[in-house]
Amino acid sequence: MNGVCMKAKRQVSAREEHSLKNRLSELSELPKDVVLGIPMLTMVGQMELNIENYRGIIEYTDCLIRIHTKDGQIRICGKHLKVDYYTNDEMKVTGHIISIEYVGLSVPD
Amino acid sequence: MLSRLICYIKGYLRIQIAGYSTERFLNACRHRGIYLWGLQAVSGAYEMNISISGFRKLKPIIRKTGTKVTILKKSGLPFYLFRYRKRKLFFAGAFFFVFLIFWMSHYIWNIDITGNKSRTDETLLEFLEEKSVRNGMAKSDVNCQRIVKDIRKEYDDIIWVSASIRGTRLIIQVKENEDSPAVSADPKEAAEPGGAVQPVDIVADRSCTIVSAIVRNGLLQTKIGAKVKKGDVLVSGQVPVNNDAGEVTGYQYHVSDADIIGKTKIKYKDSCSNTYIEKENFDVCKKQYSLSLGNIRFSFGGIKNDYEHFTMYGEQGQLKFFDNFYIPVFWWSREAIPYTPHKKQHEKEEIQQILTERFVRYCEDLEKKGVEIIENDVKIYTGQDESEAKGSLTVRMPIGKEKSSKLLEVPEQKEDEGKETGDEVDGNDGDDH
Repeated sequence: MNGVCMKAKRQVSAREEHSLKNRLSELSELPKDVVLGIPMLTMVGQMELNIENYRGIIEYTDCLIRIHTKDGQIRICGKHLKVDYYTNDEMKVTGHIISIEYVGLSVPD
Repeated sequence: MLSRLICYIKGYLRIQIAGYSTERFLNACRHRGIYLWGLQAVSGAYEMNISISGFRKLKPIIRKTGTKVTILKKSGLPFYLFRYRKRKLFFAGAFFFVFLIFWMSHYIWNIDITGNKSRTDETLLEFLEEKSVRNGMAKSDVNCQRIVKDIRKEYDDIIWVSASIRGTRLIIQVKENEDSPAVSADPKEAAEPGGAVQPVDIVADRSCTIVSAIVRNGLLQTKIGAKVKKGDVLVSGQVPVNNDAGEVTGYQYHVSDADIIGKTKIKYKDSCSNTYIEKENFDVCKKQYSLSLGNIRFSFGGIKNDYEHFTMYGEQGQLKFFDNFYIPVFWWSREAIPYTPHKKQHEKEEIQQILTERFVRYCEDLEKKGVEIIENDVKIYTGQDESEAKGSLTVRMPIGKEKSSKLLEVPEQKEDEGKETGDEVDGNDGDDH
């Protein structure tokens, strides 16, 4: 019971910290992806996707790519998915992208 | 494109990764800053491109992740050179090529002249050839200042010249004098080496009635409204100096300068054939391509044919790297298209239109030269084989051309007065200024 309480407290404090940083970035007019370290996705049509601020690839197949980010996972479903380049800062996925899904990310109240 | 070229020069490998935790392998590569591209999932394994330096860093990652790496393909310049390392002539050729480019970059292979309107490129190139400035000369021998001075000295109507070397090109920019097209026929005549001015008259270059005259230098010899004939002196370059008695004691010499407008008639005649040839092309096209290096010429194909009539088109160019690195290799392309000629008759309206267009263009050209058209009675006469437009134009136009004047003799006078008048000439001269 105590453990559950602790977890809830940690989650609350993380959310507070998040909102504090969020407010800070809004005040200072700095880009949010830099201040909060949240992933940035840029899509060109349905065939190109640039991803920045990620932690790594969890799974990669021809039709599914799961990407680990700071707050959770991003699932990219599609056909003939290919990774054009994979570097420390950025990766580019090409192919026919059908859906992008955010899994396990906290939803603000 | 550029990144692909760099990858090719540096060399890269296509590898296949198989094993239990292949994703971990990817993340480890990313963590160590190894650049991967062209990643593709192929039946439980991954294929990707990796640089040579990246591949050398893979060993600890492979051990850690327990994956198996297979090299599928080696691409790029380092592998290419390694594969053909025993072909000594190939390398000698490559080095020779680089040396040739380097060596040829020390010479001028193209002379580009811009800004010339009345002087053709050929005239200027011929003049430069005389001064031993030509294609194929060493860049170190080119003296741009000398070229500029030579051109300025030779051509008086060129008022500004710039010469510069860019790559293997000698760029000569000129500016011609567009304001006063009438240049003294021979400027050397006007001024003698000693500095004494020789008189220059303005004479009528066609018969006309003088409408207006503004004289800046010299003495007007005609009146407004007077009729003059071709060759009549309009402005004299010899201004008489009179003594107190009104007698001519000498002449002051000037180079005449005046704007004289005269009213005159210009005859116009233009003809146009009533028939024209229409070409019906065959579906045959003979082509020839040539490449020449110095005096050696290689040709491919031929334009020889048995047809009686054919149209030939040609194109010529010089090979160059980028904008300014010309090399002494020229190419030609020629093509001959045979045709059957059909004689056709122009419609009456068509002929009228052609002749009218030509006449309008002629009038526009005249107006550009400062000629004002007052009256025009040009008519079109249609004949059986040929039609013509003829008539005359009454115009107001600048009259006069420069001509060195015949020296007038000073009228003889009594000896004792001669000395006095000589003094007075100087005195008058002083007063004039």
